[in-house]
Amino acid sequence: MTNWKASGLSKDLPPANVMHADWQGVDLAVWRSASGRLSAWVDRCPHRGMRLSHGFVRGETLACIYHGWTYGVTGACTHIPAHPDMTPPATITATRFEVTERGGVIWIAAKDDPTAPPDIAGFQPLRSLTVQVGEQALLQALAADAPGLTEAEGGLRGTVQIAGLDTQICLMLQPKAQETTLHILCGAGAGPAQVSRWAESLRRQIEDRSAP
Amino acid sequence: MILYDYILSASCYKVRLMAALLGIKLDLVAVDFHPGRAHKSAAFRDLNPAGSIPVLVDGDLVLTESTAMLVYLAQIAGPQWLGEASPQSAARVQNWLAFSGRLNSSLGLARLHDMLHFPADITACRTAGHLCLRELEAHLTQVRLEGRIFLEGTAPSIADIACFPNVALAPDGGVELRDYPSVRLWQRAVRSLPQFIEMPGIHRLHDLKPAPHSGAAA
Amino acid sequence: MIPQAVLDQWYPVAMTSLVGPWPGRETQLLGRPIMVFKTQSGAVSVQTAQGQAVAVTLAYGHVWACLGTPAQDLFALPEAAQPGRRLVDCGVVRVKCSPLRAVENFLDIAHFPFVHTDVLGAEPHTEVGRYEVQIRDDVDEVWATKVHFYQPQAAKSAAGGIVTEYMYRVAAPTAAVLYKTCPNRTNEWDVIGIFVQPLAEDLCDVYPYMALFDDVTPQADLIHFQQMIFLQDRSILENQIPRLLPLDPGMEIPTQADLTSVAYRRWLKRKGLTYGAQVVAA
Ligand code: FES
Ligand SMILES: [Fe+2]
Repeated sequence: MTNWKASGLSKDLPPANVMHADWQGVDLAVWRSASGRLSAWVDRCPHRGMRLSHGFVRGETLACIYHGWTYGVTGACTHIPAHPDMTPPATITATRFEVTERGGVIWIAAKDDPTAPPDIAGFQPLRSLTVQVGEQALLQALAADAPGLTEAEGGLRGTVQIAGLDTQICLMLQPKAQETTLHILCGAGAGPAQVSRWAESLRRQIEDRSAP
Repeated sequence: MILYDYILSASCYKVRLMAALLGIKLDLVAVDFHPGRAHKSAAFRDLNPAGSIPVLVDGDLVLTESTAMLVYLAQIAGPQWLGEASPQSAARVQNWLAFSGRLNSSLGLARLHDMLHFPADITACRTAGHLCLRELEAHLTQVRLEGRIFLEGTAPSIADIACFPNVALAPDGGVELRDYPSVRLWQRAVRSLPQFIEMPGIHRLHDLKPAPHSGAAA
Repeated sequence: MIPQAVLDQWYPVAMTSLVGPWPGRETQLLGRPIMVFKTQSGAVSVQTAQGQAVAVTLAYGHVWACLGTPAQDLFALPEAAQPGRRLVDCGVVRVKCSPLRAVENFLDIAHFPFVHTDVLGAEPHTEVGRYEVQIRDDVDEVWATKVHFYQPQAAKSAAGGIVTEYMYRVAAPTAAVLYKTCPNRTNEWDVIGIFVQPLAEDLCDVYPYMALFDDVTPQADLIHFQQMIFLQDRSILENQIPRLLPLDPGMEIPTQADLTSVAYRRWLKRKGLTYGAQVVAA
């Protein structure tokens, strides 16, 4: 079993961008440098605790929005604007998680994992979408609404009828406290816009049913 | 042109932002909305009986709806901001202007509740806000599939400016934008427009400027 | 259990000018529901939910209350009575953060270039020089003096960039005042305060306050300026982790620029003012 968790789509994090991600309840700041290097850190600046996901990427560094402390891809602090001539002590570092990309999906693990994230060749990443039901309830609902999907590593795969076409779908599940994020990939069949609308519709049905 | 303005109002910011993007200079008159409630004063209601802000005055013209102000500013200084010429495009822009009213009564009210003690059903506001954000996300997902990023057509329009403030300020009202990746990238595109200005709650995109020190090269 | 030292302090609970008749402002202090209202004789009263009146003081445009037995008089702010100053109540803003974090942020200058960009600071002028900090035992306050910082627009009335000198003062656990170079009078200081009402350990109402020499700027512009500054801080305050202010070293990393914050935390810990604080690193 791999420890890599699907945490977002590569296309939603272009170079020189930072975003928040959830890893098993841990808040992370995931960012991509100008040259494309990906990092995932605990979403907390060592200085005064500000969320690093509110920060900004300059070149190969992530800076905190509060006082501008700047961190390189190793996690080490490289610059403290209040003391511009000081070399920051090597002890000041962001807390790193492991992050990699495969199949257009961003995968995060707590420590380096010798296994590879699931192979999802043949699918195109479409979008991430959060459903307001827990993972178990979601799996049950999907078994009823999309019986063509069967469990595969990291989520579900199979064939769904969309706009009258047999469509290959891969759903990577990211369970959160009361909700579940679906990272949706599509293969042959209906076009991406149709799959996107199908996913919206599916979410409405599942949430309507689970509403008290 | 005079804008009766409140620094923390998302609707006033729409107009300030549009004017800045178009290079129009507004004469701002600060209205003591909070704590003074000057927008409800008799004198102010002589100008706008609704007692709401913003109010835009240009000669004989008095406008009291922010979306109408966007139309006016674009008409005089940047008609390309009105969307494309087709009936469909013009109608879709109007649709977004009306949609921005829904954003204001959901996300905007949640923000006023959480920040300035406005009475509101906060759960209902946030739920309605998420519903709006889902609609926006669905649309922007579609738009990105077509290789675009703005709400209507290939260029930014008054539709984007009408919707941007209450979306960007949603976290002020306890509505996180984490689950809306396309909305995040759209916001970034708006914030990167030349002559973009911020308001409190929306920080400068410092990454648009190079670092003044060498640490960023590390 | 709320420590007695916390209960015996003064906290702001309302703007005096906005207090109405019963039930008046229904709010809370240290997690306990209170009402702030005007009695028929016109006096301001603060009552708990059980109908018990608590100690009240009116000062600096605000109503101050103490749930216990006041350990001392409310701090003195003589500038509020100085002729020629304009006293500006800047409203009240709710923030989902520890009241102590709100005060600490007010004492901080290093964030100006990044959070108050092109107003109170701007890159590349990010350096915070040495300044002096002391916990003054005579008045039981924390003071920072000789603080200098380059500011593009130090006040509403400032015409351009100047190096501003600041003095900071923690006058009560959740009230701080700063004195800064006055753009209009070289021999005087502008006074700006932040009065924080602890609603809960991680929720507060913040009242910015000003006593300025400025005869020109309209009142609404002064209020807008101060609200702009404070609202730029709000999204920071709501996103600091942990929510409670860590009083033990090790959880966060202060540098020389943070000496005021270090002294404030030390002072709080020494006095047992731990409401809104995290004492043992989580
Ligand atoms: S909290 Fe990040 S730089 Fe200060
Ligand atoms: Fe600040």
